[in-house]
Amino acid sequence: MSRYFRNIAESLSSLLTGMGITFTHMLKIKKGNVTLQYPEEKWPRPERNIGFNHEDYNVIRSRLTVDINDCIGCLKCERICPVQCIKIETEKAPVRGEDINEINHVGITSNGTNKVQVVTRFDIDMTECCYCNLCTYPCPEECIYMTGGPNSKKHPIDYEFSEHDRSDLIYRFAKPGTKEGIQKVKSKQGAQS
Amino acid sequence: MTVDWLYTTFSQLFSFIENTDLLFLMSAILPIGIIVSLMAANAIVMVYAEMKISAFMQDRVGPMGQGPGLHAGKFGILQPIADPIKLLLKEDTIPEVADKPLFILAPFIIFLGAIIGFLAVPFNENVIVVDLNIGIFYIMAVGSLAVIGLILAGWSSNNKWSLYGGMRSAAQIISYEIPAGLCVIVIIMLAGSLNMQDIIHYQSGGMLNWIIFSNPFSFVAFFVFFICIVAETNRGPFDISEAESELVGGFHTEYSGFRWSIFFLSEYANMLIVAFVAATGFLGGWQSPFQDFMTGPLWGTFWMLGKVFSLLFVMIWFRWTFPRLRVDQLMYICWKVFIPISLINIFGVGIWTILIG
Repeated sequence: MSRYFRNIAESLSSLLTGMGITFTHMLKIKKGNVTLQYPEEKWPRPERNIGFNHEDYNVIRSRLTVDINDCIGCLKCERICPVQCIKIETEKAPVRGEDINEINHVGITSNGTNKVQVVTRFDIDMTECCYCNLCTYPCPEECIYMTGGPNSKKHPIDYEFSEHDRSDLIYRFAKPGTKEGIQKVKSKQGAQS
Repeated sequence: MTVDWLYTTFSQLFSFIENTDLLFLMSAILPIGIIVSLMAANAIVMVYAEMKISAFMQDRVGPMGQGPGLHAGKFGILQPIADPIKLLLKEDTIPEVADKPLFILAPFIIFLGAIIGFLAVPFNENVIVVDLNIGIFYIMAVGSLAVIGLILAGWSSNNKWSLYGGMRSAAQIISYEIPAGLCVIVIIMLAGSLNMQDIIHYQSGGMLNWIIFSNPFSFVAFFVFFICIVAETNRGPFDISEAESELVGGFHTEYSGFRWSIFFLSEYANMLIVAFVAATGFLGGWQSPFQDFMTGPLWGTFWMLGKVFSLLFVMIWFRWTFPRLRVDQLMYICWKVFIPISLINIFGVGIWTILIG
């Protein structure tokens, strides 16, 4: 009989202890919260040492970037890509090596080459890219390259490449509106001449 | 706002309508519509509260978002709206070997049991749909209607897990009706009436006049009653009839889409009813805790809903704190602990009223 009452008392006290624990956790949620609101918050990037200094060699994943002002539209990267993830379309420029201000086209690359083509489309499908780095070698102007490594100073380092929508993973490097713009410029010049 | 009051108001307003049946129908359907919308609103609020409170108790943040669209609104406020939309769009499946008429009937019986309990629930001094003179008895009676629906759902699914769930819930609800009923007897002994409004009027005049604080036996009776009603709603640590880890989903394993959401809605509606009964019987209903401070119809509703939602919070708190009981433990608690305690309570309250008053 005494065991019966002792059981009741014990279970009551243990139940109250449990309820106290959950209640304190509920009140201290601001401090004790362990969830990371991922796209808005990120964990700090861990500092790590793989034999190089962090600044000297970026070990975080790299991805392709194009400096579109330097691109001459030679299609070498498109041809060499083993998975055909690069799509380039070009349009002949009216005058070789001349800036077209309407579409922000730069006529001369940073290496001093006069551009013949206007690049109207330069898409890299990052869902297909296999990060083989083959496209960066044939580029005569060195305008397509991997971020990270020696280029890590040029671009903020992103190690996730995550997007809300899958179509956002197709990186469009050509300036928006180039395709319509160049045709408008050409037709205007045709009308003038 | 009784049905009678509505009827007289309607007959004065629409004196051109000769047909008295139509007037009666109008005055009967209006409260039902309000009750159904109350049930839906309650389910929405409770779903959100349950998600958030359970998350906070487990050091999570629960549903969060930055705005409508991809995310569920600021602090996930749109999540309880997204959930019903998802449930309504789901395919409604009926198993091939199920007993089809019973399978379709079961959710409606449970829903009916939930909805007709609200008829005798007082919201404040004037607002009660039907002021029955056996109000508390009526609510206890229709509250056990749910067991028919549960066992029907379990049986008609033609699935051993569902049947186990239905059987367990039947055993559980029938067992816990007894201590709950014995605790209600304590209320009736003190208030001297089965009418909900009379019970509340008995407790007027401040917090110390509430039945829970009127003597030590009724103080114990409140906690026994509260645990029993939590068990009767198949919730918290007593959810052995739908134990996810043992019985897949118990009696609602085979239900999907809208039928499943009816079960869900009824569960929350049942919680609301039993919380109303506990607040009415032990916590003074719509009476203010401080004698004449903040009284009146609007404050009455405020106090009533305040008490009810605090009790509902405690139910959620129970659910996310305690592990589920085993079947034999559940029966042990009911038959060997609660029933003796409530019998002693009845005896003690009787002696107390004779000797002390």
